[in-house]
Amino acid sequence: MAYALIALGFVLALNAAGAVNFAHGDLVVLGGALAAFAGAWTGLPSFLLLPLVALGIGLAGILAARIAILPLAARPPEATFVATIALAAIIEQGLTVAMGGAPRSVPPLAGSGTLDLAGLAIGRQPLAIVVLGAGLVAAVWYLLERTQTGRRLRAVAADRAMARAVGIPVTRMVILSLGLAGALAGIAGVVLGHQFLVSPTQGAGHMLKAYIAVALGGWGSVPGALLGALGIGLFETFVAASFGDAWASAALYVAVLAVLALRPQGLFGEPVGRRA
Amino acid sequence: MARLGPFWMILLGLAPLVALAVLPAFGQRMVTLVGVYALMGLGYQLVFGQLGGLNLAQGALFGLGAYAAALAAPSLGPAALLVSVLAAAVPAALVAAPLLRLQSHYFALATLALASLVNLAAVHAEPWTGGANGLAGFASALPRGPLLLAIVWFCLIAGVMTYARVFAGPAGEAARLLREAPLVAATLGIDGGLWRLVAFVAGGALAGLAGGFSAAVSGVVSPEATGFPIMVVCLTSVVLGGTRHPMGAVIGATLAVCLPELMRGLQGAWLLAYAVATLAVVLWAPAGLAGLVDRVLDRPVPAPAPVGLPETVPTLAGPQVLALDGVTKRFGGVEAVAGVSFEVARGEIVGLIGPNGSGKTTLLNVVCGLERADAGRIALDGRRIDALPAHRVARAGIARSFQAPMAPGDTKESDIARAVATGAPFVLLDEPAAGAGERERARLEAFVRRLRDAGRGVVVVDHDIELLSRLCDRLVCLDRGAVIASGTPDRVRADPRVRASFLGSPVEAS
Repeated sequence: MAYALIALGFVLALNAAGAVNFAHGDLVVLGGALAAFAGAWTGLPSFLLLPLVALGIGLAGILAARIAILPLAARPPEATFVATIALAAIIEQGLTVAMGGAPRSVPPLAGSGTLDLAGLAIGRQPLAIVVLGAGLVAAVWYLLERTQTGRRLRAVAADRAMARAVGIPVTRMVILSLGLAGALAGIAGVVLGHQFLVSPTQGAGHMLKAYIAVALGGWGSVPGALLGALGIGLFETFVAASFGDAWASAALYVAVLAVLALRPQGLFGEPVGRRA
Repeated sequence: MARLGPFWMILLGLAPLVALAVLPAFGQRMVTLVGVYALMGLGYQLVFGQLGGLNLAQGALFGLGAYAAALAAPSLGPAALLVSVLAAAVPAALVAAPLLRLQSHYFALATLALASLVNLAAVHAEPWTGGANGLAGFASALPRGPLLLAIVWFCLIAGVMTYARVFAGPAGEAARLLREAPLVAATLGIDGGLWRLVAFVAGGALAGLAGGFSAAVSGVVSPEATGFPIMVVCLTSVVLGGTRHPMGAVIGATLAVCLPELMRGLQGAWLLAYAVATLAVVLWAPAGLAGLVDRVLDRPVPAPAPVGLPETVPTLAGPQVLALDGVTKRFGGVEAVAGVSFEVARGEIVGLIGPNGSGKTTLLNVVCGLERADAGRIALDGRRIDALPAHRVARAGIARSFQAPMAPGDTKESDIARAVATGAPFVLLDEPAAGAGERERARLEAFVRRLRDAGRGVVVVDHDIELLSRLCDRLVCLDRGAVIASGTPDRVRADPRVRASFLGSPVEAS
């Protein structure tokens, strides 16, 4: 589910910016780190940290848009790519210096222990993650499909020049998308931070997973990205359970390469057409 | 792209000499490392700088080279460095075919996935790679110290000079077109696939060589050599130095090696400074630091004067007749071109007219191979060309110009001049007069006549029917994809269906 949140943010940023945001994974880590620090400092429980982190990383996303994405809108997508790679390195190194290299833990979302639900013992934490994730996905869906702002966001994603021509404030929409993407990344960071600890070098891994999810699900497709992310999560869990983590990752990469070799347009095709 | 100026030549030649003569062993080691990273970066410039391909596997190829050197050195000695080159170039060539077809963002992902696989293998295939501990104890079989420095810098200087020489000539222009206007490149007969393959494999070979050298420098090879951080340093150093400048990789590598030493007290802070600098360069100095230095040295940046139409047009050998037979192109359910047949001979000007959306440009695209025909045949002297990719159609003898300038710095006239300069016997001109003033129009008219007199076959698409009537030997009128009239200008203009289609009124039954 956390993958789904990361991929969701990634695809929002992708559509708005028209280029891959390589720093997205590091925004996730930044979210985890922020939660860890704030948690250790204030002693607040995670569900109170969540909005704080979402706001903070949302702002970080906007900053990323201002620095590395908007100024390069007129240049080829590779320029944005490189700029965000540099931004990713800045965040990673900044965190390394700030954290001193020691991994941190984020407090749990909903306490530990299990709930007894219809005879099944379900961990409170996983349950809380699923409920939270589903809620956020539903909220983003509502925003995109049922509101005027959502229609504008989709218009910018489909055709930036046309959107500008009909009077949509494109720059504001890009900033909004990146802010939203950042908030989702921050929340995912909090969730993952409890499960796996936070360490500065995880960003590239998160980014790669989101990238894969989006590529498999169809470049730029929001439901495709969600399906892709859930698929990756299940795939990894099952392969890892029977063969170990290394094989799970290897199988995932091989699967991606196979898909790209056989279907260069992604599993479900490209809803928005050529982008590069 | 200019040749390497004297300033850079002296810098490049002096660096290893000074290092050998003056520096202590530690300094020499750093200079060697600069050479190693510069070699990897130089290879990266081929794919990323020249062709704009965001290859994220260069670090992994570097790692492959390093492991190959470590594994082969005990039995082969210094020849292990050649194994390094092969260990990177051969896998690069093997994966190139499916990989290089991908569009930019998928290419980046695929190379990243490949690199991750290599990294996983390095960590987990312990029997061969030594796992996380890596390999050691092989370095005594490889060149070391001053000798290694000399070899590395010899390779680097040779590489930089070759690079500068190659890209100062027509190859540089070809690479620019492939990067900035791939369609134009294809219609000029430039084989983008071959270019990408050569660049990817040559770049990989340089990465492998650099990897082998790095194994010789450090004496240890661990999975870090295949990791993403190396890739990031390679990418950022090339961007920082200048993605296409012959010295870009050298400048970038110098910073990447020296900054950590200068900022030794501050742990990882050098990478932070480095990344900030890279971001700044991307934003404000796209030509990189080497480009900035060029500007400071006031070396005239060659601003290519827009080329006009040539005065003379040579007569050429080659096919005599371009024949279209039942050519059809569908987009979804729409027949954009529906069973079009006509012939064009050398020394003839054929005008293609028709209302907007009647399929004129689509027809040109199909003929020159940018779009594939769904049915029908296109042939030059009876030899079919309708299944060929655009660059082979161009080489078979068909050139074209585009409606709007496609590459930055182009003008309409330079676009036409370039198409004619390919020497193709048949030239397709798409709205050459659109937006042209009175004088340009006259110049163009005279030029197209010169083309005919030199024995070229010309197809002109335009909306200016007066111009086409004066200029053309024959007109072909399209409506909704199909030919509704063809013949001499007078006859076509008198045709009631042509008049109806131009005036937009329905055709009266006659």
